[in-house]
Order: sequence, then C-alpha cells, then structure tokens
Amino acid sequence: MNKLKLNILLILGIAGILSSCDSLLDAPTKSSMDEQVIFSTPVLAEAAVMGIHQSFAETNSYRGRFIPFYGLNTDVEIYNSSENITDDRSWLTAYDPRVNSIQMNTDNNAWAKMYEGIERANLAIRGLRNYGDVKNNAELAQLLGEALTLRAMIYYDLVKAWGDVPIRFEPLTTESLYVPRSDRDTVYKYILADLEEAENLVAWPNETSVTSSVERVSKSFVKGLYARVALAASGFSQRADGTIRLSNDASLSKDVLYPKIKKRLLEIIDSNTNKLGEFEQNFKNLCLENVSAGQESLYEIPFSEGRGRVLYTFGVRHTTVDKYTQQPQGGNNGPLPNLFYDYNKYDIRRDITCVPYEWTNGVQVPRQFKSWCFGKLRYEWMKRVVTSTNDDGLNWQVMRLADVYLMAAEVINYTDGPAVAAPYLRAVHGRAFPNKSELVDEFMTQATTSSETFFNAIVDERAFEFAGEMLRKADLIRWNLLSTKLVEAKNKMTRLSERSGEYEGYPDKIYYKTLADGETLEIYGLEKGQTDEYGKNNYTTSKGWFVSNGLPTLTSDKINSLYLRDPDTRQHWPIWQVFIDASNYTLENYSWFNSSN
Amino acid sequence: MNEIKSKFICNARSMFFLLLFSLFSGAVFAQVKTITGVVKDQTGEPIIGANIIVKGTSTGTVTDMNGSYKLEVPSNAKTLIFSYVGMKAQEKSISGSVMNVTLEDDTKLLDEVVAIGYGTAKRKDITGSVSSVNAAAISSIPVASPIEAISGKLAGVQITTTEGSPDAEVKIRVRGGGSITGDNKPLFIVDGFPVSSISDISPSDIESIDVLKDASSTAIYGSRGANGVIIVTTKSGKSGKVSVSYNAYTGFKKIAKTLDVLPAGDYAKWQYELALLRNNGDPETYEKYYGAYEDMDLYNDVPVNDWQNLVFGRTGYTFNHNLSINGGTDNSKFSFSYSHLKDIAIMQMSDYKRDNLSFKYNNKPTKKITLDFSARYSNTGINGGGANEQKEVSSSDSRLKNAIIYTPFPISDLTADAGSADDTEVGNLYNPLVYISDNDRQQSRQNYNLAGAFTWELYKNLKLKMEVGYDDYKNYDKRYYGTTTYYVKNVPASENQNLPAIILTNDIRNTIRSTNTLNYDFKEVLKSKDHNLNVMVGQEYINEQSQSLTTVVHGFPDGFDSETAFRLTTQGQAYSIDNFYYPDDILLSFFGRANYDYKSKYLLTATFRADGSSKFSAGNRWGYFPSVAGAWRISSEEFMGSSKDWLDDLKLRLSYGTAGNNDIPSGQMAQTYRSSSTSWINGFTSYWAPSKTMANPDLKWETTITRNAGLDFTLFRSKLSGTAEVYLNTTKDLLIYFPTSGTGYDYQYRNMGETENRGLEFTLNWNAIEKKDYSLSFNANIGFNKNLIKSLGSMDDFGWSSGWASTEIGWDYWVATGGAVGKMWGFKSDGRYEVSDFEGYDEANKKWILKDGVVDSSPIVGTLRPGSMKLKDMTNDNIVGGTEDRVVIGDANPIHTGGFTINGRVKDFDLTANFNWSYGNDVYNANKVEYTSTSKYQYRNMTTEMQDGVRWTNLREDGTISNDPVELAAMNANTTMWSPYMSRFVFSDWAVEDGSFLRLNTLSLGYSLPGSVLKSLKIQRLRFYATAYNLFVLTNYTGFDPEVSTRRQTTLTPGVDYSAYPKSRQMVFGLNLSF
Repeated sequence: MNKLKLNILLILGIAGILSSCDSLLDAPTKSSMDEQVIFSTPVLAEAAVMGIHQSFAETNSYRGRFIPFYGLNTDVEIYNSSENITDDRSWLTAYDPRVNSIQMNTDNNAWAKMYEGIERANLAIRGLRNYGDVKNNAELAQLLGEALTLRAMIYYDLVKAWGDVPIRFEPLTTESLYVPRSDRDTVYKYILADLEEAENLVAWPNETSVTSSVERVSKSFVKGLYARVALAASGFSQRADGTIRLSNDASLSKDVLYPKIKKRLLEIIDSNTNKLGEFEQNFKNLCLENVSAGQESLYEIPFSEGRGRVLYTFGVRHTTVDKYTQQPQGGNNGPLPNLFYDYNKYDIRRDITCVPYEWTNGVQVPRQFKSWCFGKLRYEWMKRVVTSTNDDGLNWQVMRLADVYLMAAEVINYTDGPAVAAPYLRAVHGRAFPNKSELVDEFMTQATTSSETFFNAIVDERAFEFAGEMLRKADLIRWNLLSTKLVEAKNKMTRLSERSGEYEGYPDKIYYKTLADGETLEIYGLEKGQTDEYGKNNYTTSKGWFVSNGLPTLTSDKINSLYLRDPDTRQHWPIWQVFIDASNYTLENYSWFNSSN
Repeated sequence: MNEIKSKFICNARSMFFLLLFSLFSGAVFAQVKTITGVVKDQTGEPIIGANIIVKGTSTGTVTDMNGSYKLEVPSNAKTLIFSYVGMKAQEKSISGSVMNVTLEDDTKLLDEVVAIGYGTAKRKDITGSVSSVNAAAISSIPVASPIEAISGKLAGVQITTTEGSPDAEVKIRVRGGGSITGDNKPLFIVDGFPVSSISDISPSDIESIDVLKDASSTAIYGSRGANGVIIVTTKSGKSGKVSVSYNAYTGFKKIAKTLDVLPAGDYAKWQYELALLRNNGDPETYEKYYGAYEDMDLYNDVPVNDWQNLVFGRTGYTFNHNLSINGGTDNSKFSFSYSHLKDIAIMQMSDYKRDNLSFKYNNKPTKKITLDFSARYSNTGINGGGANEQKEVSSSDSRLKNAIIYTPFPISDLTADAGSADDTEVGNLYNPLVYISDNDRQQSRQNYNLAGAFTWELYKNLKLKMEVGYDDYKNYDKRYYGTTTYYVKNVPASENQNLPAIILTNDIRNTIRSTNTLNYDFKEVLKSKDHNLNVMVGQEYINEQSQSLTTVVHGFPDGFDSETAFRLTTQGQAYSIDNFYYPDDILLSFFGRANYDYKSKYLLTATFRADGSSKFSAGNRWGYFPSVAGAWRISSEEFMGSSKDWLDDLKLRLSYGTAGNNDIPSGQMAQTYRSSSTSWINGFTSYWAPSKTMANPDLKWETTITRNAGLDFTLFRSKLSGTAEVYLNTTKDLLIYFPTSGTGYDYQYRNMGETENRGLEFTLNWNAIEKKDYSLSFNANIGFNKNLIKSLGSMDDFGWSSGWASTEIGWDYWVATGGAVGKMWGFKSDGRYEVSDFEGYDEANKKWILKDGVVDSSPIVGTLRPGSMKLKDMTNDNIVGGTEDRVVIGDANPIHTGGFTINGRVKDFDLTANFNWSYGNDVYNANKVEYTSTSKYQYRNMTTEMQDGVRWTNLREDGTISNDPVELAAMNANTTMWSPYMSRFVFSDWAVEDGSFLRLNTLSLGYSLPGSVLKSLKIQRLRFYATAYNLFVLTNYTGFDPEVSTRRQTTLTPGVDYSAYPKSRQMVFGLNLSF
C-alpha cells in the first residue's frame, strides 16, 4: 500500500509542478525583434524608418487619396471631371466635401495612414534616442533625422488638410489613444523644433551614400521643409472658429520666422549641393526615375515601380494601351483651360505644363478644350513601360530647388526688400525664357518696383512654375488669397469662354495633323491671332475648340464647378465620419462646418 | 431499418460494461453445466453476436450466425445476462438447459450514452442540453464529411454549407453566435483532443457526435465552450470474433441549377444601346468589336458558348470505400479502419481526395489497469477552387462570375482591358476557362494524431486516468496566379508584372495535450442505494505551436502553367520567404465535476473549470467558469403514478452557467516589431513595423452566461419521445476587433459590449410503426434563435462592407445596438424613372430635367434619364445621396432552422429521407446586382432578368437613342425593369431575397439480403443502396442556391451570394458488407 501511496504522491506532485508555475503560460512572440536590437543596428533601424514610407504607399494613403486630391481646385489646377457635380470627387475638390465622402470616409484613408506613419516615426525616434548611438554613429543620426523630418512632413500635410489635428509625439499609450485636436500653432512649433534638430543630423545631398539619392532625406530638404512649414505657420488659415487669420502666437510671426527661413534657404542655395537645371529636365528626370541627388529635386516619396499613382493622376492621358504604357491612365486632374493662355507665349513652361492632347492607339489626338492634361509627367518620357493596371510607380516630388529660390525671394522681399530678393526670382523666371533675356529684364524691372509688386510677381510666378504640383492651394491659403484667386479664375474662364478681354483673338476651332513620326500632333489655333481661315486651308482635320456644334464648350456648369462653396469657408477638409466615430468622442468637426451643412 | 443495422454496428460501450462485469469475476468453479438456446429480436430474427454472460463473472459467450449459443456455466451460477447493442439487456434466472430469449429494442433515448466531456453519462441522467447523432444515423447516408452527416439533424445547430465546392467551408453555429467580430465556431473535440476542424475525419470512423449546447454542459470545457462544443467519438474495438466490414459507393453529380443569360442577338443589341448611352450617341465602342448596327441580326445565328456548361457542366464523379476490421479478447481489443474518397467536382480542374487510416487498441494487463492507444492519420488533397477563394488581394480575383458575364460569342480584339477604363479594383472580363487555370490552387493536408491513456484504479471506486496526446497538422497550399489575374498585374515589382506568380504556404501546427483526471464514486462512502454521488477532478495542459512558411515567387516565364511553376520554382524571382513562428498558444486548466442524484429522481450537477491562457497577460490570465444544473424526473414521483401506462419518462432540466472565449490571435499583449516584405518602396524589399493591430495588455476572457430549461419526455412505450428547450445566453466583455484607425493602428482587440441569444428548440422522435416486416419512424427538430446586440460598449453603431464590388458600394451591413449581426443595409428601390418624372429633355445641355419634387437618385445611379433606376429618399430632401438614405433592408439570420428525417422499412427494403430547412433569412444576391447592371463596365453579358422586352429600352429601330418623351413611353409600355445602365452597382432591397428553403438533402433506398441468403454466403450483412443528394430545394430564391455565404473574411457579412461555386445534385450507388 505504501508503494501505491508513493505513486499517487508522485503523480500528484508532477501535476502540481506543472500547474503551480504561472510562467508556464508565458508565450512570447517568436518571429519578432526587440526595439533595442533594431534601433542599435543601422541596417535594421533603416528598415524600421522605411515602415514610414510603407504607410505613404498604402492604398488610400498618400498614394491613392492624399496626393491625387489635396491641392484641388485652385486658380491653376482642377479636377477634370469637376462638372459632374453629383460626383463625390467633385464635392471633395470643389470645396464642398462631405464627412461621409465615398472617396475619403474609409478606415484606411489618408488620415489613418498618416497617423500610422506618425506612430512608426514616433517608435523609430524613441528607439533611436534610447538605443541608437546617434552621437557617434552617423548612420543612426541620419535615420533619426529622417524620422523627425518625415514626421514633420506628415504633420504639415495633416495641418494643411484638416487644420487643427490631434498630436502624438510619443508612441501610443492608453492615455494618448484618444486625444482631441491641438491648435495648429502647437503643431507648428513642435515640428519646427524637430526640423531644427534634424538639420543637424542628416547629411547634405551626396555627402553620404544615403543622401546620394533624393529618395532619402537630406539637409537641403530638411531646411527647405523648415521654410515651407514656417511660411505656413506665419501665414493665414481658417481657424477653429471659422475666421481666417494669422497666428496670435508671437513666436510664429513673420518677424520672428522670416529671418530663420531666410537663413536656411540661403544655406541650401549657398551649399551648391543642388542645381537649378533646365525646367523640362526636372520632370524628365522624374519620369526617367533618375533619383541621383544634386539636381533640382530635393526629396521624393520613393514609390517603387509598381506602386503610386502620380503619373496615373497627373500625367498626359493615354486612353488605350500603346507602346509607351500598358496602363491607359492619366489626365484625371489638369490645368484650368485659361492657364495655357495666361502664360507668355515665350515661356517654355507653357507647353510643358499644359497639354491639349491625349494618346489613343499610340497617336496624339486633341482633348476637349475644357479639360487639358498636365504635361509635366508623361508615360512617353519613361524608359520603362508601365505594366500595373493601377499604379505607375513614379515618385512624388515633394520639393524642388525652384521652390527654394521662390521662397527665398518671397522672404527676402519681406526682410530686405525687392532689390535684394530679385536675384532669386530671376533665377527661376529667367530659365523659363532662355533666349528672351529682354523679356526677363522687363519683368524684373516691373517686379522690383515695390515690395508689393514683387510679392504679386511671386504669387503669379509660383502659379506658372508649380501648376500641377499641388502646392498652389496651400500657397493661396497662407497668403489669404484663396477665394480672391478662385473668383478671379472663374471670371477668367468666363471671359475665355466668350473670348473677350485678354482672350480675344482666337479661332473657333483647332486644326491639326499628325506629323511624319506617326504620333506627334501639330496643332494650329492655340495662339493669339491664328484664324479659322488659315486653319481650314492648311489642315485637313479640325476640332471644335471654343465652340462645338454651335455651343460653347466651356460651359457655365464647368466654370461654376471650380468651387461649389466659397473656398474660404472650406479651407480645410472635415475629419471623415469614420474617424469621428472611432475617436471616442474626442474629435469633432468645427462647428462652422457642421452648422453650415 | 435502423435497428437491423444497429445490431451490426460495433459498440464499444457494451464491451466496456462487459469488461466491468468481468472485473468482478475471479472465483474458480469446479462444476459446470451447459446451457444452450437462441436469442432473437422482437421480429423473430436471430441476433448474431449477442452477449451472454453469467452474472457476477466474466464467463460468457456470443451467439453465432443463427443466433444460437452454447455456454458452460458453473453449477452455482444463478443468473444469465443477455445483451446486445441497441437492445435492452435481460437478466434471466437459470432454469433448465435451454434458454431462448427475445430481446427488446432499447428505448434508446433513455439508456443512450452521451459524451459530456472527460467522461460519459447516460442520456437519462443528463442535466444539461446535449444533442447527439449516433453511428447508425451517420452511416445510413454516405457522406464525405462528418458535418454533412449531422446537417439538419440537431436542434439549435445551424449548419450552412457556404458554397458548392468540394471541401467548401461549413459554418456551424450553436445557438446563434455571441461574438460580433469573432469567429463563432464551436470547439471541436475528437476523442478528447481539441482540433480546429473535423472535416478530415472519415464519417465511417465515427461512433457518435454529441453537441453540448448550454453552459452546464460546456462549462467543463471552460474557456472555449462559449460557442458550444462538438464532441466526436470514434469507434473502438470490441471483443469477440474478428469482424470485417466493407462499404463502398460510387456515383455522379451534375450542377443543380444554372442561370439564363441573354441570347447572342439580345446581347449584341444591348451592347449597342450601351455604347450609345455611354458615349453620347457615338456607337464607336460598339462598332469597333461588333461591326455595323445594320449587321446586328447576324448575331441571332452565331454559335454561342454556354460558359456555365463549359465551366461547371461536367459530370462529377465520386468514389468512396472503407474497410474496417475489429475484434479481440476481453483484455485486448483492436479496431482498424481505412477509407479512401475521391471526388471529381463539377467545375473544371476541381477535385478532392482523402485517405484515412485509424487504429485503436485497448489493453487490460491487470484488473486495475487499462491502457488505450489510438492513432489517426488523414491525407487530403484538394485541387482547384483558387478562382473563388476569399483571401484575395482584390475581389476582382474571385471571378467565377465570368461564366455568366463573359461574351457569349468570341469577339476578336476584345481584350480584358476593354471592359473598364476607370480606377478599378473590380474585375474585368476574362475567358472563364482561362481564368480558372490562371487561378489554380492545390492544397494538401496531412494530419496525424496519436493518443495514449492509462487508467488505474488506485482504490476501489477511485480511478486515475492519465492521457497524453500529440497532434500534427501540415497544410501545404500552392496558389498560382496566371497572367490574367489582378495579383500579377499589381502586386509584383514592375519587371515581374504580367508574368505568372505563385504563393506557397506551408503551415505546420503541433499540439501536445496532457490530461489527468481522478474519478471517485462515493457509493462505498454513502452506502445507500438512493444516493449516488460521483466526483471527477482533473487537470489539463495543452500547448499548440505553429509556424507558417510562405514563399512568394514572382516573374515566371510567360507561358508557365501552374504545374510547371510549382515544379520549377527557380525559374521565377523569389519575392519573399517568410518563415513565421506564431507565439505558442498554451492553455492550463483545472476542473471538476460532481454528479449527484437521489433515486435518479432528483439530479444535480455542479461543474467548475479554471483556465489559464497564454493569450492574456499575467493579471487577466485566469478565467473561472462555474455552472450548476439540476433535473427533476417528474415521472418518478408518486403523484404521477396514474400516468404510468402512457408516460415512460418525463424530466425537467434547469441549468445556469458560464463559459468563456479566448478566440483571438496569440501575441496581443505587447507591441512587437515584425519584418514584412514590401514591393512598394524603392530600394527596399522589407521593412520593420509593429502589427497594424494595437496590442492590448488588458484583454481578458469573453464570458457567456447561459440559462437553459429543458423538458425531456418519452411516451407510449418509447413510441414518442422528444425534448423541448428554452435558453437565454448573454455574452459580455466581447472580444471585439475594434476599429482604431486614426490613432496609428487599424484595430485593437478589446473587451466590450454585450450580446444576447435567446431561443427555443424542439426535437421529436416518433416510431410510428414497428412491425416485423415493416416500420416507419420520424425524427424532426426545429430551433429558433434570436440574436440581439445589447451594447457595443464605447463603440457607436457601425457599418461594414462585404467588399464584393470593391469600394463601389461601401457599407452594406449595419451593426447596431438593438440590432443583430447580419443586418443588410442599403437603399430601397422605387422602381424606375418614368417619362412622366421629367420636365423634358434639354437638347442644349443634352440632359433630362427632373420635375420639381421628384426624388433625385443621380448621386447613386448616375446621370438620370427615363428608365434609370429610382431609389427611395429616406431623408425628405428629395435627393438620394450618402449614407442617410440607407436603411436596414435585410437580415441574414433565420427565424428558425431545422430538419426532419423519415425512416421506413418494408421487409428487406429500407428508405431514408433527410430534409433540412431554413426559414426567414434573407440572402444578399450580389450576383443579381452584378448580372443586371453595367456599373462602369462595358461588354458584359447579363441574365435574362434584363432581357429585351423586360428591360427599359432607349433604342429606336433606326439605331439611335430616343429622347422623345412620347416615343420613349410608347417603346416601354410593356417593359417592367429599369435600364441596366448605371454608373455603379447599387445595393437595394431588390437584391435582398427571401432565402427560406426546404431541401430534400438525401433520399436513400436500400436493400439488404435476407438472413437466409446471408447464412449460406457466410456473411453477416449485405446491403445495396442508392442515394440521391440535393434532390430538390423548395425556395423562392432566384440565384443558384439560397444556402450560401461567400464573403467570409469577417463574420459581419453573412449571407452574400457572390460568384459562388454552384451546388450540385448527386446520385450514388453503394454497398455495405460485413462478415
């Protein structure tokens, strides 16, 4: 019997050992790695910073929603189907966005993916500060600088689109899970400080192997982004109460910030690490996916070849598959019809920016007068043929050197007057008229008359220089010119439709033929003074341009669809319903947005 | 028929009792006498293999082929016990040397043994709610999977075969489902071992399937019992002569229903009208492919491809056979079984095969020790079906729909891209046969399970049972993406786009289980005949380790088909190799159960289980799940004496208890970094990021409280028996996959909210006729369940998208407090716009002007003209726009489901018919939407709901679009439907259909050779049968089949019929042989 009892004790004992041990239930993750290891090892830390880029590329993030839609409509840029005013995309771009927007009100939308990027940046920043020896390891320092810069860029874009937004500068905790909006001034101060730190961490373009590519953050970009953010911080915007005003925070005043901006912009220019090449070459480089640093481009979101919708949205449209692309896309957004006519005819930027044709079956054919294509991005400039059905793979150019010059001109005009600022404006304007220095001289003479004329010249110059690059809306807002310029644009389009005022002297139709290469279109009728008579006699094919079947092609419906509400009452998007719902009552849309709904 | 059959079914339990009896023997007797006789059943047929033992000893024998026996008994023996499976045992005092006995059928329900978890109990002593199906019912109809065998047979167990493919996912809900975002799958236990699925078990190996429904029953499984427990017990060996049985069947099947599509001429006509509508009267997009309008009549005579027939039209073939052998002595028994199943499905390239081996061995080396060993192996191969899987990159890759919408005649130059030129993630047109081969998938699963048990009677009535088991599961899934798939057009890096790609996934899962139980029967302590108390305590440890190796290879040479790509992987470019180790899933548990009864009149069961799960952090790890249940056998009361002649048994049961749920992925406690592949970022192929699901260290058990009352009755000498139950289940601290987008993470698991399921269940068995030459019996069950979301915690009501149309439709399900999971949400159809709704046509702007006060549906259906689909305005603003105009328009939850079985026998012929039904549920017929509206696509065919003469037409005889109000009205005087032309797919109540159905699931006719013939052939039994499956479905549903649910990525979107694999009708012929 004793033996039996012993056995029982033994068995119960085993069971007891097995059970008493709570650690038995610890089941740590296996295919994962500790923060400590990741952020002390440059190659791993780099892949963690790439996680931020991954968020840019998510379906409805920068890739599919923020880049295609933020920035529309302006006095130079429009959603090409805007006249379909029952389309949600028209509401979104024509200053009548709805909280339940079909495009935006999804839980994987840009808002969510931007905060996902922020969280990844926050984790990387914490990890690098805690475990990365940034003081002694330049690679890790570069990564910390990149994470700080990308986070600042995302916050800047959030503020641009939504105004005051929730801020989280530390990895998420239960406490920071639900936070209300913070005033944009707070955000600006935070990210300006971050950029001040980052500019000392990252290298100049081509200073290191990492910064030899514009797909990585360089000192030029950090400083340029500082300027862009600081200009916005010291500029106008529609505030929480619905009014449009400057910041009340003295530290965000022009007087405080402009000298800081000036210093940094001049540092970029003086460093000579980037070059203002030819205007067209910058966009060809973009299409050729030439990402070597040191040219005009400062930073590009590095979409891989199979991801991103840049050309898809902003390029010259191909309606069918041809030798240049297997993806018949492009032309979703385009320049306002008047933009082409507003350029000086000698301005080389005109024909690069405004394209009146599209491609069908490998041949250029005229588009409708009311919907032009942006021409800065073209499948036909690419060295590879796009095969994805939904993505073209071109990078999104966030900043180029011309922007640095024009920001410098703007800031120095304020701090030191037009004469000192003039060379920076001339650098950009001058290259648009390579063989017409007399026109440039004349332009500069007029511009430097006063600080005010100089400022106005910059307002126009930025339109001509950056049309289609989605910078205009933020510019107009910070200058408090959004409504003014959009009203002006409607008036221009109306005059254009009637061919009155500055738009007198164009024929009804355009006349065209395909050149000997079998694909290029020669169009007659787009220049002032050209006539239907000449066209009829010299071309076999024509297309009703201003007038078709006796009716004006640029209808009042189209013109009016530029904005459906006063743009100044809708400078920001609402926070989409799905995010309001998921905010545990901490987020709501501004009362002025809700009440006018 | 059943009772004939049941005689031949081996039953381990009877042997177990035999064994018990034999334990108490031991004395050696000097003198013996010989007794002979014949054992017959009530019909006078001899019983083969009946047991005869001397009471109180292990001396015994079995009857031979003639039912005769010969037994030498000690001279002091007083009583013989005669027993046979399915019959009432009889004790007879020994008198004389010839004893002929007639055994009566057992009143099965009372003495039936059911598995209750860590033990068994007699059905009559059950206090909880348990439904069972036994081997006889399972084997009467040959089926491929055990779930099919119980479909429609258990009250309160709703089984939905989601589509018609072999190995189609089967959704099982026990009394509705408590979770909202969680999987409401019940816990499956096979011979004590928890498994993730029972589809790989051969039905012929199954002894019984028991479903535990209330918490008093499931509480013994504690943490995982909240959604019910399905216990499968496999067959064990029995002692006696070695018996061999062989079962085989073969048969064929055809598609059960097809949809009618437009004839070629009508298709061309519609394409012409569509081209004009899309392009402002310019027919170019028609003429480019179809030629001139004037030549359209040629299409009336072109040969057409019947794509449904080409894709699903082949005659399927099935063959299944099974051999089982068992036998042994009292101390050593074995059973062995081998099954093979081959199934060529109706869809091209789709087939299924499975081999099962099982072996069980029981040994009793000493009186106090029993050893059990079992081994089970299955090997399953599934080919095809990739064209309809659920975890697609895009819904455009589930494209069985191409069999309907593909052009009926070949059109040169019409490439897939012509179908759409918009930002689309919804598919284009593809040749359905090409599409099937471009979406090939081959799966191969191996599963083996080894288990051993050691039972030791430590003291009298105190038994220790130690079990150890090991389960090994491997699933190798090979997926091929050909050049027409969305996947290869978009996912690979650009240099590998439009070239074939494969994904190989190798999942490995090992589970170890160790269970120790102590069982003590207090009869020695209580020393009373009236009081019975049995206590079981136990401890269990389960550790599941899994890993998944996913290899993605892109960029195979163009022209590589699936077979070549799978074999020559080095010809492609490795895109990612991810060998992912999941955190272990460990469960440590202690449990106990006490059963007490007084004179079998008052019964009480108390159960308690404590579970520790590695899925939760230290403070929340342990969940405690108590339950208590009582039963009162009213029929045993004195005052019921007068009813004795008609009431055999009446028992009232009440139970209350809790069960838990930890059905979330492991590793939710801490946010850890994971490395993932990417093809989105230049220069990088991988990145580190935390999971998109935010960690939540505060997670704890989801708890379900169930209250159950049941009434069991047996009447008229077991002629009529049944059960009625009522229950109320509330589930709180729901583990909800909570959307947190905007914070930095997409989701987080949280405990929140509360749901309720209440219902009624009835089961009735009626043995209407029971005669020697003929019999007739009915079994029926019905379950009502009502699901209610009582609270969503801090979450607001939310919508969910089934996503079949990518983002075109948006939310089409609505989850709301006060509602239920499965509420369909969309617009209300208001027919179509008539000419009279418009002021007229504005030539200048080329558009129709709506009259004031007429609701404007254009934000949803696109540019309006007479004939456009009209939607109801729910907000009184005369415009149908965003979400506010959507309302709940359907409910996927049935009011009741059930089934009934008719068993009949005339002489040697037997007939079984199984029906099942569902009543009151809606089906979201997404197919109908897609097959009757254009959305942004051109060149698609439609179903005849939109045929010429039915659909609105705008087309004049001369080939132009009419904008003349009078003319349009005249042209459409006899049409009833709106025009299919609309800018997007619209989900309206028109697409919500009543999914109620009654299906004759199986009808089986058998013939057994009579005993006299069998005797001369020296075989025990030979039966031939023919069985028809899915013979008919009574339903008003217009799609393929109302039993469908194809959008299964979440549980929030049940009942969508989209591009489903159609069901088939099958006929098989088979035989059962045993000797």
